[in-house]
Amino acid sequence: MLTELAHAEETLKRIEGHKGVIGTIIVNSEGLPIRTTLDNSTTSLYARLLCSFTTLARSTVRDVDPQNDLTFVRIRSKKQEILVAPENNYLLIVIQNPSE
Amino acid sequence: MSTSVAKEGKKMRCAVMLKPSKRGSNLLALTSRRSFTFSGSKILDRMAGPTPRQAVRVFDEENNDVTPQPFYRADLRAEPGSRFLVDELSAGSTSDQTTFTGSFTMPFSRSVLDSSRISSQSTTESVNEEMEETFCRRDFPFNLPESLLPDEKRKKGSVKEQMTQALLKGIKDILITETDTISLLDIPPTLVSVNADDADVIIEINKQYSEVCRNRRNNEKYVDRAVQTLNGATKNKQIQNNLMLMVDTATIVSAFEMYAPPEQEVMVYSPEMKQTNDAETIVDSRRSPERSLSLTCSASTVISTCSLKDVETVGSSLNTQVDSERIMTSDKFQFSLLLMERTVLRNNFQSQLAAYRKLPLLQDPDRLVKPKEKEQSEAETSCSPALQCLWVFSCELSRGCRVSSMAWNKKNPDLLAVGYGETDYRNHGPGLVCCWSIKNPMWPERIINCDSAVTTVDFSSNSPGQLAVGMCDGSIAIHNVQSTDNKSPFISSRECAKRHLGPVWQLRWNQQELSFTGEEKVESLYSVGADGRICKWFVINGGLDCTDLMKLKKMNNTLRKTEQNKPEKTAECVLSVLTPGLCFDFHPSDSNIYLTGTWEGNIHKCSCSNGHQFLETYRKHFCPVNCITWCPLHPDVFLSCSSDSTIQLWKQDCINPLLSFTSNQPVGEVRWSPKHATVFSAVNEGQLEIWDLNSSFLDPVIVQPAAPGLKMTSLLFASLTDCVVVGDSDGQVTVYQLQNLHVGESSQGDVIQDLLRSASPKELQQTLM
Repeated sequence: MLTELAHAEETLKRIEGHKGVIGTIIVNSEGLPIRTTLDNSTTSLYARLLCSFTTLARSTVRDVDPQNDLTFVRIRSKKQEILVAPENNYLLIVIQNPSE
Repeated sequence: MSTSVAKEGKKMRCAVMLKPSKRGSNLLALTSRRSFTFSGSKILDRMAGPTPRQAVRVFDEENNDVTPQPFYRADLRAEPGSRFLVDELSAGSTSDQTTFTGSFTMPFSRSVLDSSRISSQSTTESVNEEMEETFCRRDFPFNLPESLLPDEKRKKGSVKEQMTQALLKGIKDILITETDTISLLDIPPTLVSVNADDADVIIEINKQYSEVCRNRRNNEKYVDRAVQTLNGATKNKQIQNNLMLMVDTATIVSAFEMYAPPEQEVMVYSPEMKQTNDAETIVDSRRSPERSLSLTCSASTVISTCSLKDVETVGSSLNTQVDSERIMTSDKFQFSLLLMERTVLRNNFQSQLAAYRKLPLLQDPDRLVKPKEKEQSEAETSCSPALQCLWVFSCELSRGCRVSSMAWNKKNPDLLAVGYGETDYRNHGPGLVCCWSIKNPMWPERIINCDSAVTTVDFSSNSPGQLAVGMCDGSIAIHNVQSTDNKSPFISSRECAKRHLGPVWQLRWNQQELSFTGEEKVESLYSVGADGRICKWFVINGGLDCTDLMKLKKMNNTLRKTEQNKPEKTAECVLSVLTPGLCFDFHPSDSNIYLTGTWEGNIHKCSCSNGHQFLETYRKHFCPVNCITWCPLHPDVFLSCSSDSTIQLWKQDCINPLLSFTSNQPVGEVRWSPKHATVFSAVNEGQLEIWDLNSSFLDPVIVQPAAPGLKMTSLLFASLTDCVVVGDSDGQVTVYQLQNLHVGESSQGDVIQDLLRSASPKELQQTLM
């Protein structure tokens, strides 16, 4: 168990160290950020917005085909890319600037 | 007037003579109901028999029978009020005699009368007399003309009086009018045409009915009976309800209160819950303390708008840390992390990965392409064959370790196992095996720490998750890369008594058909070690055990001996009879045949079934043969490379090599290209060489020098794409892409054949003949 936690921590740190990654946020099922590398205001903003966005995306996927489910969300914008890995009880958000 | 009236009254009084019935008239005080009922009951008793006639008859002066006839007989059991009704009826009737007959119909429509007259106008005396004399229910319709009320008698008498006087005076016109016809029953007949379908049936029925009617009178079957429906008297009644008190109640529900966790008692907010990996229970246990918190909040204060933030601030301080631990230790989170890392890296390595996968490179429209870069990219595109470095597999763990061997996974072509270790005899440090994925060039998927330096790795075909690792200390371990726990190998040959005494130089998984069935392919692990044995390994009792397939005896001694014509047995038995085998390779189609390269420089062709003799020996190299590889596209051709800086191309049935290629340094490894039959690659310590037999026999087509200070040690071709993977002494595994190799499109095998024919005609002619 401890190694799992350590492994998760290590992987997260590695992701944060990759080229272009601006920040990572882990949000729990209520929209509360549990862990973040960004400042509070940005974090709460992203958490709040992406929670509802992910819910909408998931409901869209499932409305089209009820046996389908959402696995990943990528929002590519001019300046950055927001990557969201949604699950039942958390959201893993990474913001990356891909073209550096 | 008054006198006449008085006269009339007197006359009236004296004219009317009552003849009371035999039954007593003792009814005087009749205002009370009791007395009424009393009299009524009396009369009832008397009246029980068949219809009695009128007991009292009234006669006037002329002895006319003016006995008033009652035309309404009330029910004695009814209320006394009905008696009054009778009065009124009679009163109403005496007013106009002509209407008497008209009102004959009144008993049939009692309801009409009931509602109209309630008020009592008759005197008590008259009621008296009425009750006494006139109540006779059954008589009524038929006896009407005979029985009249005593009141009526009097009134009739007075009327009669008036009449006689009026008659004296003149003729009075009497109007007789008819009442409306009251229809009681009207059944309209149904008319059916004679031509109708069921007319016959109806005619038959009609006939039967008329028969019945005819026979009715005399027939005992039929009895006349009258039926009358009685309509009950309706009455209005008012009721009143108790007032229903309405109370308004409202409540506000939040998501907490509505949520019902499946196990309420068990869920205790404690750190022990971390052990459950199930995501659902994690959510539940987290919910219950929050729920209790929210309930206490609502009890004390009124939460009108319970926004998410408010609730969160209440419960966040307690739960965040527990939350984060639970989330981060779940399996899904690990997977999400993996996915995220790969996605992030894919963004970074977009162009390189696209080139590897042979996908067209998409230009990022938002990225500003500087004019300098454009010029550079244009200048670099030339038509000559070149190698382009795509990326380097490197991590801090592997930095500084020498790459000793690499192997692709048989099932997942993206997975590359790299063995690290210093294989010099001096250093026997710990080894490392990393499984890298193309999708993640920055960090290996699996890291396996080995006790000893790793010399060789190979993936199994039958069970693609099994990776066999051969080490410097002679032990072989089989790891399962599918499990994330890499603490201990699946199987190890440490305890095996017959394990290799020296480093295991090469491992191979090979599938062999069972000789009996000929269909099943059993895969076994073969190894060649520095102790000169080629062993076949199998799993027994959770450990590995081997059988010797071949012992590589030293050949050069015997050769020298035979040349010098001395006996084979020499006194040089101090040294081992066996020579270390450095490499071996199984024939691609015939899995029984394999080639072995030895330290001596000889290449032996052996068979699995024959463990004592070599089928063939190829002699050319005078230094240890480092690598042997069969051509995958041409069945009989193989390459060998040795530390004498040469690469030899052999054909299976030819003792001497067909072609030789020289390099400038000892060649570590040589590999055929899986796609192009004429292309092979060799790596020596200083450079990577790509040879193309189509273009030149003397020089390699592409030469990629190693970075200064690095020695290239290992080589592999990527199976699906034009890439070469090179490992070096610093633990880096570089992926190069072959560009602009002009290779023909014709059938691969033929190309080799033609080449060989053109290359060395002498030897080929010898072999072909």
